[in-house]
Amino acid sequence: MSWAQAILLARGLSRGWGGICSTALTGAPFSQVPPQAPRGLRCSAAAHNPDSSLVPRPPEPPRRPVKALAVHEELFRPALDGTRDKANFVQAVQNFAQYNVHKRGHVDFIYLALRKMREYGVERDLSVYNLLLDVFPKEVFRPRNIFHSIFLHYPRQQECGIAVLEQMENHGVMPNNETEFLLMQIFGRKSYPMLKLVRMKLWFTRFKNINPFPVPRDLPQDPVDLASLALRHMEPDLSARVTTYQMPLPKDSPDTMDPTETHIVGIQSPEQQSALARHDPARPIFVEGPFSLWLRDKCVYYHILRADLLPPEEREVEEIPEEWNLYYPMQLDLAYGRSGWDDYEFDIDEVEEGPVFAICVAGAHDQATLAKWIQGLQETNPALARIPVVFRLSGSSGELLASSSELEEPPPPPPEGQEEEEDSQQRQQKGQS
Amino acid sequence: MASVHKLLNGTYILRKCLKPRVVFSPFWGTHFADYCSSSFQKPVAAPGKASSQRKTKWNLEEHHQREVALEITSPEDKPEISFDKAIKEEMKGHFRHLKDDIVNYWIGPEGRPLHEVLMEQAKVVWQFRSKEDLDKWTVTSDKAIGGRSEVFLKMGRNNQSALLYGTLSSEAPQDGESGRSGYCAMVSKIPRGPFEMKRSYDWSHFNTLYLRVRGDGRPWMVNIREDTDIIQRKDQMYSYFMFTRGGPYWQEVKIPFSKFFFSNQGRIRDAQYQLPLDKISSIGFTLADKVDGPFFLEIDFIGIFTDPAHTEEFAYENSPELNPRLFK
Repeated sequence: MSWAQAILLARGLSRGWGGICSTALTGAPFSQVPPQAPRGLRCSAAAHNPDSSLVPRPPEPPRRPVKALAVHEELFRPALDGTRDKANFVQAVQNFAQYNVHKRGHVDFIYLALRKMREYGVERDLSVYNLLLDVFPKEVFRPRNIFHSIFLHYPRQQECGIAVLEQMENHGVMPNNETEFLLMQIFGRKSYPMLKLVRMKLWFTRFKNINPFPVPRDLPQDPVDLASLALRHMEPDLSARVTTYQMPLPKDSPDTMDPTETHIVGIQSPEQQSALARHDPARPIFVEGPFSLWLRDKCVYYHILRADLLPPEEREVEEIPEEWNLYYPMQLDLAYGRSGWDDYEFDIDEVEEGPVFAICVAGAHDQATLAKWIQGLQETNPALARIPVVFRLSGSSGELLASSSELEEPPPPPPEGQEEEEDSQQRQQKGQS
Repeated sequence: MASVHKLLNGTYILRKCLKPRVVFSPFWGTHFADYCSSSFQKPVAAPGKASSQRKTKWNLEEHHQREVALEITSPEDKPEISFDKAIKEEMKGHFRHLKDDIVNYWIGPEGRPLHEVLMEQAKVVWQFRSKEDLDKWTVTSDKAIGGRSEVFLKMGRNNQSALLYGTLSSEAPQDGESGRSGYCAMVSKIPRGPFEMKRSYDWSHFNTLYLRVRGDGRPWMVNIREDTDIIQRKDQMYSYFMFTRGGPYWQEVKIPFSKFFFSNQGRIRDAQYQLPLDKISSIGFTLADKVDGPFFLEIDFIGIFTDPAHTEEFAYENSPELNPRLFK
């Protein structure tokens, strides 16, 4: 090639490069070269940009955490009035089915729908899961000969079916006959989703009723109802009575909202009442808290009223008079010879703690609210008026102040609640100090 | 062996900050706790000092357990650090343990006379009355896979119980392969004989596990692992659920051994076998109930006893649909 042609070529090339570089810098459209030049080209034109090295620049870190929208995500846009509920979800799924007859991309759509279920609040709805399984084309993925069944036939679809069943398992949804029939139609009897269904039916029925303290699935939304459910859950004595000492103010007047007017619900059994009546007024009783109680996924904080353990010399053994029960003796002093073979006691002293007199659940954890609880308790326990009450609250709201309103104030105990450095919601019981 | 321990724990010197949680300590660390003095010492940079490393590691464990201010040693009384002396003491301890073992063999199983062992109907296996009892347990959480849960173990009030507390977070780690997360576990350490030989528990005379706990209403899972002496079985365990009631009262949980189901690599297996009670290696408690938030569990003691009213041998029968090979 002659020198003239070489110069022309070089000029053309440099103009071309310059054009690309100027396009990159100014963003103006360039006719011959497509406007989005690849990065490598831009970077390798080092003439205009002295900072860039010959190595292509690494991709920029994502500035915002939002991911790109999935393929069919526009089907899951919120409805016109912004609500997301079952009807909208069902509509979105049915829209996909009408989108294309061949149901292209159904695996991705099902994964996306599984992710979106929680927002729409349908993750525990069996009919929705059945509808989602209905999205699969039927009879296509069933193995038809031995070679299909040896190798995992349509592995992505089988994994997707297993993912649907796994989400059902996570939320504790029991599959029914419709699910079984759908899976049989879609995958056949010898497939992994069908095997998982058989396992789910077996183990769910085995573990359905093993909780000795069952909590209902749908917890009440009202805080007073939730508090009484929590108190009944904690107190093993069935003759205990739940009392509401204070109801929360209705929320329709937000400007006059008084923070101390929260709900206070308490529980006390007749045995605890009598124990409190017999309690020695010289010894203080303590209000301890707040402790956490979890009911499924809701946390409720409660306080307890308890006394310290009596030292051994002051403990009195209660004697039941013989006339108490005429039908059978309450105490038997027979010494049947029990040898070591029949000894079922553990060789350890169990942790002993003072008696608990009452438990309460209150909306606020400060002393004013709990003082109202004590005042409410005094109506059924007149002995409480003579006993000094010490508040041993922990956490940011509780301060260690002395006693109840009526009586003599014992010296405040040294601050014990501040030793614990963990989260203020976790507290353990305080035994004898 | 101490040199291997030194190599293993060489990394502890580099750690400047004391972590506020229990580090998964290898089994070596427990036996050296006896030799350490109680004073806190800054980690010495020289690599040849095994005892100071032990002290550092022991203090790392202690730091989270004691909320007391750290003692500062005065410059006059520096404790003597002698590598040879430490090794000699360690060897002496192991030989002493071996001698006790041989003598105990003549007295009876585990050093107790035979009639006592045969007639025993209730036995306390783990109790929590002092700090040494806490050293027999290891605490793990999903921080090992990159999650955010935290868990701590400390003595409860008046040294009468152990408190396991922390926060559960089911936020999955962004490592591209974990879809779910959020678990906390407390596992007992494998019992060791002289020269760190692995031992196991023999519970063949008993049939029920007894726990005295006080929880906060969360469901826990109790896992029992078998001895890995002959066959490596690190992924297999037998589990059952423990439901806590919550509330201020102590709760007695009795789980018969016939209720434990078999699982491998975290999944329930189709073929179920009874838990073999003669070589049990460790027990553990796991919390993974998919609810974020703080939790606590207070344990008084763990024991085993024979419930004469419980006659069931195994609770789960195998079905021919899932296991056709078992029914041929």
